[in-house]
Amino acid sequence: MRLNWFLPFLRKKKKSETLAAPSLMMQWTMKILPRSWFADRVTGKPGLIRRLLKRVGPSVLSSPLRRFVQAACLLLFLFQFFYVCWPYSAQPVSDGEKSDGWRLIEVDESSQFHFEVEARPAWVGRHEQMLHLSNPAGDGAYIGAFAVSDTADNRISLRPTSDLTPEAFDQLLLADGTWSLSETEPNRWPSHYADDLQRKEFLPAELFLAIDPLVSLSTAIASRSWVWSLTCAAMILVVCVVIPRGFCGYLCPLGTLIDLFDWSTARRVKRFRVAHDGWWVHIKYYLLCGTLVAAMCGVLVSGYFAAIPVVTRGLLFLGDPLQSGMSHGWHLVPGMHLGHIFSIVLFAAVLGLGFLQPRFWCKYVCPSGAVFSLGNLFRLTERKVESTCINCNKCVEICPFDAIKPDFTTRTSDCTLCQTCGGVCPTQAIKFVERWNLVELKVENDPPTRETPLGRRGFLSLAAGSAAAIVGGTSVAVATRSFGARLDDPTTFRPVRPPGSVPEEKFLEMCIRCGECFKACPNNVLQVEGFQQGLEGLWTPMVNADWAGCESSCNACGQVCPTGAIRALPLEEKKVARMGLAIVNESTCLPLANREACQLCVDECNAAGYEAIEFVNVHTKVDGDGLPIDGSGFVAPVVLDDKCVGCGLCQTRCYAINVKEKHLLTSSAIVIEAGFGKEDRLMSGSYIQLREKERRRRLPSRNAGGSEFFVPEPLPAPASQLETQETNDPFGF
Amino acid sequence: MQPPHPTRFTVSHSKFKVGRSTFSVLLGFFVCLMPTALRAEDLVEFLNGAKATGLMKEIRKEKREFDFEIQLGGRKLVRTYTFDKVHAVTMQGKRHILTPMVASPATDNSSESPASRTKAQVLELINTVGSTPPDWFDSTPLDYPKTLELDWPLNPNEKGWNNQKNVGQYKWDVINPNPGRWRSGLRLMHHLMTLHKNQPALLERDIKVVGEMYFELFQDYPRAAFWLRQAKVQVPEPQSIHLAECYWRMGNKQMALDMLNARSLPTNAIKLLGDMGQTDRAIQLAGAFAKMNRPHEAYLLAGDACRVAGRHQEAISFYQKVLDSPDARNEEYAKRYHGLARDCIEALNLTEKANVAKVADGAYRASSVGYSGAVEVEVRVTNHQIEEVKVTKHVEKQFYAAITDTTAQIVKKQSVRGIDATSRATITSQAIVNATAKALAKGAQ
Repeated sequence: MRLNWFLPFLRKKKKSETLAAPSLMMQWTMKILPRSWFADRVTGKPGLIRRLLKRVGPSVLSSPLRRFVQAACLLLFLFQFFYVCWPYSAQPVSDGEKSDGWRLIEVDESSQFHFEVEARPAWVGRHEQMLHLSNPAGDGAYIGAFAVSDTADNRISLRPTSDLTPEAFDQLLLADGTWSLSETEPNRWPSHYADDLQRKEFLPAELFLAIDPLVSLSTAIASRSWVWSLTCAAMILVVCVVIPRGFCGYLCPLGTLIDLFDWSTARRVKRFRVAHDGWWVHIKYYLLCGTLVAAMCGVLVSGYFAAIPVVTRGLLFLGDPLQSGMSHGWHLVPGMHLGHIFSIVLFAAVLGLGFLQPRFWCKYVCPSGAVFSLGNLFRLTERKVESTCINCNKCVEICPFDAIKPDFTTRTSDCTLCQTCGGVCPTQAIKFVERWNLVELKVENDPPTRETPLGRRGFLSLAAGSAAAIVGGTSVAVATRSFGARLDDPTTFRPVRPPGSVPEEKFLEMCIRCGECFKACPNNVLQVEGFQQGLEGLWTPMVNADWAGCESSCNACGQVCPTGAIRALPLEEKKVARMGLAIVNESTCLPLANREACQLCVDECNAAGYEAIEFVNVHTKVDGDGLPIDGSGFVAPVVLDDKCVGCGLCQTRCYAINVKEKHLLTSSAIVIEAGFGKEDRLMSGSYIQLREKERRRRLPSRNAGGSEFFVPEPLPAPASQLETQETNDPFGF
Repeated sequence: MQPPHPTRFTVSHSKFKVGRSTFSVLLGFFVCLMPTALRAEDLVEFLNGAKATGLMKEIRKEKREFDFEIQLGGRKLVRTYTFDKVHAVTMQGKRHILTPMVASPATDNSSESPASRTKAQVLELINTVGSTPPDWFDSTPLDYPKTLELDWPLNPNEKGWNNQKNVGQYKWDVINPNPGRWRSGLRLMHHLMTLHKNQPALLERDIKVVGEMYFELFQDYPRAAFWLRQAKVQVPEPQSIHLAECYWRMGNKQMALDMLNARSLPTNAIKLLGDMGQTDRAIQLAGAFAKMNRPHEAYLLAGDACRVAGRHQEAISFYQKVLDSPDARNEEYAKRYHGLARDCIEALNLTEKANVAKVADGAYRASSVGYSGAVEVEVRVTNHQIEEVKVTKHVEKQFYAAITDTTAQIVKKQSVRGIDATSRATITSQAIVNATAKALAKGAQ
């Protein structure tokens, strides 16, 4: 096995030498592309490609493929974040045409349904046209989809496209009134947000988060449960056995962003530079150790430091307000609080470390990188230096990861196999080969590195660092827990979580605080929690229903969650998953307080299709006989707790109109609340089944007791014989 | 709309299936000549006008039902139908009528021409259909709060109001405003009847309530009539006018008029007389009420009666009388009646302008006073046709029927004239009509 450098070394042909034939791949490429792009191998004159790369910079010239992969990954990450997770490209599907007044004439032996109407609209009746049949009178009952098989003036013959149920068939024959034909299924549950995300998500939107191994690893440890993204992390770790730390060198968008920051800004300021060695070079291991210790204590802090969550949150708090502000108006950007500031400062600090040294974060601090460094212990390939080395030090100078020792051999735990050193080596002494390749190697410790395997000082610093990590991790865990959410106390703050969130205790252990769900959430229903639950709830998503309500057609938050803290529910499940319960404030609600008529919440709930708020008459005036006076009092809202899912649309409406616009109230009179009995949060299993179980539990107790259809005596005389007088009538008339 | 006559079916049916070419007509003859026993050629005509061809499997006279086999996309489906769902069955060339045709309530609430029936047919309909439970009865759960006192006394025992205890107050507060609870509410009332079997006074009240509910909430005239007759409602009880309306809606105006031929009538008779086209009697009756104690209501109803009959000048003068009458029951009532009358006058004055033939294309909005606040409508006009009337804002409490029903009527008639108010939602209907007239006037060229 030999991984060639990305750009072959170029030198003039010496007279006595015969040129080795280029590799097979190279021969093909040279056949396809113009001759002028390639170097002249006899004279050693560089071609167009090499001259262009040289212009861009030395690291691109020495390892162009690596820079290309880095750029592609950053662009992919930005594309997924700003386009795939951008919900506003969704457009509701129009209802299409609808035609009323169709009367069923006949069902014939060949299963054709013949309908008639007074005047057939032009759009109805194209051959094999798909039409949806419903009965607007009988509760808008939907029968199914039919195909047009024949058309005459005002008539049409339809053939069911799927097997009709006997019930639907009876309904067709027995229902009163006329039928409606429509191009789309009537009263269908809208799904445009969910569909739009699915359409755009040819790669999972949370791909980079899922392949950050620390995300899934620490989540699984903290919650003591299986996390689906562990498989992705395992895959990338397997890849990184072949290409050691390849994630850091090639894929990580934070690394690329840091490269850009270093190139554009940090390299111009020299005064903060620090040396290549010092106590800081092993921070990443201690940080990793600390976060894992905290995770073992059930507190998830790895999201504060793991690479991809850091860059996702940075883009969320800096880029997303710009994106939505500029495209949808600045009034739609929620305000910032201490939690935002804290995250932005942290992100700025990560970039700012570049002033100390290029990619200081990646080399010394990043705990995700530390996972790969440890993974490097099992590496199959590595960088080796041959004896042709002339000690020119070019490779040490260009190495972005400080992975080359003073004797020019490799610090194997840090090398990302980026091959930049190979490109600059004047003697082709650097090779990237299998680990056990020992051919023609350079002598080690020449010049001397002055590095000892583990000296006294090294041992002391290791001991001190490990102790600090363990103590730090534990104390962070203890502090977070004791000043945290305090879930056993029912009076503490309980935020409304996104639909499909796992139980609160597990949620706090599984939410990595990456911020992906905020980005995918239309209208910013999900907003960043600050310190309401102490450090334990920091940056977790919570519903701010004063701001907006959860869209009935959207299930994006669960789809983009990398850890499964919000389960990826299909829309059918999500629409019955209770994330909270609307509570009417009886002292402020306008009709309940006898102030004025208002039914905003009911209209909003019905429009969304939940029909979870119904009316009750209140403040009815009674006349002398105790009978109600028609027209007195108001109708007030009553929330049906078996139907309310806590989407918060009612609260949004009440707040927008009664508080913001009319200034009648100081806060919304209907508010969604979470907590025991107000929300259903399952680790696994179906919400539909849960609802069904509840429904069955409710029914039988109510249905007990005789409720037969009873006609009291005296009964009127039985049907008189009017039209049929036969004595032997088969129907008994 | 009247369902097409059966013979029309048979003719067009064959044209539909065979026809098209001489060859297939000839083939059709051959098919007709073949022995009928070979094929499933029994024909069932349902009450809604639909027909199905299939094979009669079994008739159970005592249960008043039969099994019928129908071919459906390669499957054979045997379904059981009760006699009261079926108009007629043709077996071996012989047609047996099982239930006389009902004009279905959903399609027939316009005042034009309810299907006409003899007195005997109406009574038969009431006895056959009216005495049966509706389709949804068995599948509707009996759902009421556990705290409800099912021995519902005639007069509430306690002074206060408790809709979780008193059935009447529960009906008023919880059932009436929620269309979703109408079915289970009616089921509850039926349940109460079984509980009050041996208490005649309570039972009589229950029966009356059931009849009223079928009438007001479901516009199910045969069942409403059946239960109102069971309760033996008499003029001048307000429910008796419901019964009269049932007769008229079922197709016998004379029966309704006979009932209204009494010395004293309740106020709601004015509206029924007006809707039935007895405008002069309606005006006369309104005059009598106006002299007694309720001038606002009486004149408003008289105005409505004139308006339905197209006598616009008279209608305006009656509405003017509402404005001129000083006192009502209270301030709130006076405000509402005056607002309504003003809107009606305005709408009538705009009627000429509201002629859709003179209205430019576009969407127009206007609002008018309804029962408990403004009702706003949006009218969309394209090519001098009313495309759509939509209620965009309202705070009406109950009887949403008006919101869909009245708007549909306006679109169907392409006019705001002669729109019949939905039962029990007169004021809301009226407000929608008025607002539509105003909106159309805005677009008049």
